[in-house]
Amino acid sequence: MRVGLVGAGVMGRVHAAGWAAAGAELVAVFSRDEDRARELAGQYGARVVGSYADLLREVDVVDICVPTHLHHDMALEAFSQRRHVVCEKPIALTEAEGREMIAAAERAGVRFFVAMVLRFFPQYRLARELVAQGRIGQVGVIRLKRVSYTPNKPGDNWYLDHARSGGMIVDLMVHDFDFACWLAGDVTRVYARAAGDRYALATLRFANGAMALVEGGWANPPGVFRTAIDVAGTKGVIEWSSDATATIRTFLRQPEGAAGEVGLPLSPLAEDPYTTQIKHAYEAIRTGAEFAVTPEDALRALRVALAAKESARTGRSVTLQGG
Amino acid sequence: MTLRIGIMSAAHVHADGYAELLKQIPDVDFIGFSDEDAQRGQAFAGAHGVRWFRRHEDLLAQQPHGVIVCSENRGHMELVQMAAAAGAHVLCEKPIEVSRERAEAMRDACAARGVKFMTAFPMRFDPSVREVCARVRAGELGQILAVNGINHSENPSGHRAWFADPHLAGGGAVMDHTVHLADLLRWFFQAEVETVYAEVGNPFAQGTLSVDTAGLIQVTLSNGVFASIDCSWSRPAGYPRWGHLQMEIIGERGTLVLDAFAQALTVYAKGGARWPEWVQWGSDPNRAMIEHFLHCIRTGEEPEVTWRDGFEAMRVALAAYESSDQGTVVRLSP
Repeated sequence: MRVGLVGAGVMGRVHAAGWAAAGAELVAVFSRDEDRARELAGQYGARVVGSYADLLREVDVVDICVPTHLHHDMALEAFSQRRHVVCEKPIALTEAEGREMIAAAERAGVRFFVAMVLRFFPQYRLARELVAQGRIGQVGVIRLKRVSYTPNKPGDNWYLDHARSGGMIVDLMVHDFDFACWLAGDVTRVYARAAGDRYALATLRFANGAMALVEGGWANPPGVFRTAIDVAGTKGVIEWSSDATATIRTFLRQPEGAAGEVGLPLSPLAEDPYTTQIKHAYEAIRTGAEFAVTPEDALRALRVALAAKESARTGRSVTLQGG
Repeated sequence: MTLRIGIMSAAHVHADGYAELLKQIPDVDFIGFSDEDAQRGQAFAGAHGVRWFRRHEDLLAQQPHGVIVCSENRGHMELVQMAAAAGAHVLCEKPIEVSRERAEAMRDACAARGVKFMTAFPMRFDPSVREVCARVRAGELGQILAVNGINHSENPSGHRAWFADPHLAGGGAVMDHTVHLADLLRWFFQAEVETVYAEVGNPFAQGTLSVDTAGLIQVTLSNGVFASIDCSWSRPAGYPRWGHLQMEIIGERGTLVLDAFAQALTVYAKGGARWPEWVQWGSDPNRAMIEHFLHCIRTGEEPEVTWRDGFEAMRVALAAYESSDQGTVVRLSP
């Protein structure tokens, strides 16, 4: 299958490597940053195209790695041309947009994959598997941590613009909202406090009675990215923290600006989770198999993120109807 | 000056540690403990080799300079009133009581007899906690945004059943474990808790206990800092230690992580109840707390941890229940 990539930023580059590893044919790259597009296309033997419409004409699958506010329109255009879509998370900026995207894919009879990459991180998958096996009994309290540093994309740092990224709660915490839902199901109530985009604490209550504290932030110094899982059930506890489980630790002087534009919480693995994810999406699209994470899952996580944002704004808890 | 000190009631798990410390601390005449529960009294007397008074009056008749009140939460009031009437200064286990009215009655009884009331918040005397307090106040982190606090533990009713008796304990995990972190937040920032939001439930002992076993609380403070307190009894029996006290403090300049009980050896030893077990080697904050109580009796100074500190922390726990019942944010009146 021929794949076209939109966007040549941090995630575009990560996805391009994934497509190559999956054995897909990356044929076209489109980006408003032509230098970056050329560099990336050259690396994978793809062609730079001059417009999104040109890209759609040449491919079977579109991979959308552009700022979040563009997801909706670009996906709809791809669906109207009956192209499969792989789209970076979060699915969209509003629930209505997300729903529209899901409906449009169904109408077009094509596949729609939202890259909720946390589902492909082995420690998160294993934790979920152990919970599903009943190893810790019924889940009672979930604690999740994701505290990184403020994205410092040179030029246009769109992450900081709520109109384009949704802000830290929507862009970053959406991962853990999805993971919490994966463990405990639908959320009924959300309460959150936030210090702008620097830090937020969100308390979730689930329909099954479980509860979660989800911590997210961009408050750390450049280069620091801390994540953690703590799931307590009736029969036991699962604990994991990136602080305690690093296989390699360095204590080196870092030159100014050594940290990446955007933090990625990676650990040395035979295959990085981003590649696992793209391989999975590619295989599922090729064979017609089910996706391990659905656009509905992505939409549910967005709904929780938006409720957390609203709660942080109003200072009141938000009740979610029908999960 | 040698001080006569007694323990009133051995109901609380902390009474064991206090008894051993009172035996070790110099210039203390540990006169013994009182307990009207015969089984408990006998067991405690045997375990610590100290004199057992079957009636609280009999212990107070020895004219102690001070007592440590270690009864069930509901019941502190009666013992504190008796101690105050006998002129004994009071170090009172936390939470100080189960209701506003009962707590205020203790304050009034102590004030009327001119005896001191100190709340037993040992973490105030922990060297790591004290260092963090000083560094936060000195501005090392810049302006503070938020605190993520953990004081989760195993279910203490496995050691003493009354911890899960809603009447005697006044609640479950929220009543048991909210107050330590609520107090540290107030103390670090010299600020008051303004709002409380809580999710409370009983996921860990459905069908066996009638109290809450889990609570996730969020508070906002008068200085604008917001904070979470996880007071859940979420660690399983057999966990390497009873639980944790951790705070992650997020400031403009980054994050400070406090793991107050990290000074431990990890021990894998056959025959123990825990595998592995974290055996502590850090300074015992209970010792420093008791020594401060003794110091205040000797010098007449006010304790660093007052009745009001115990009262305000208890109010946070009570507000957490109110918030959970109503599903809304509760605002504390100043």
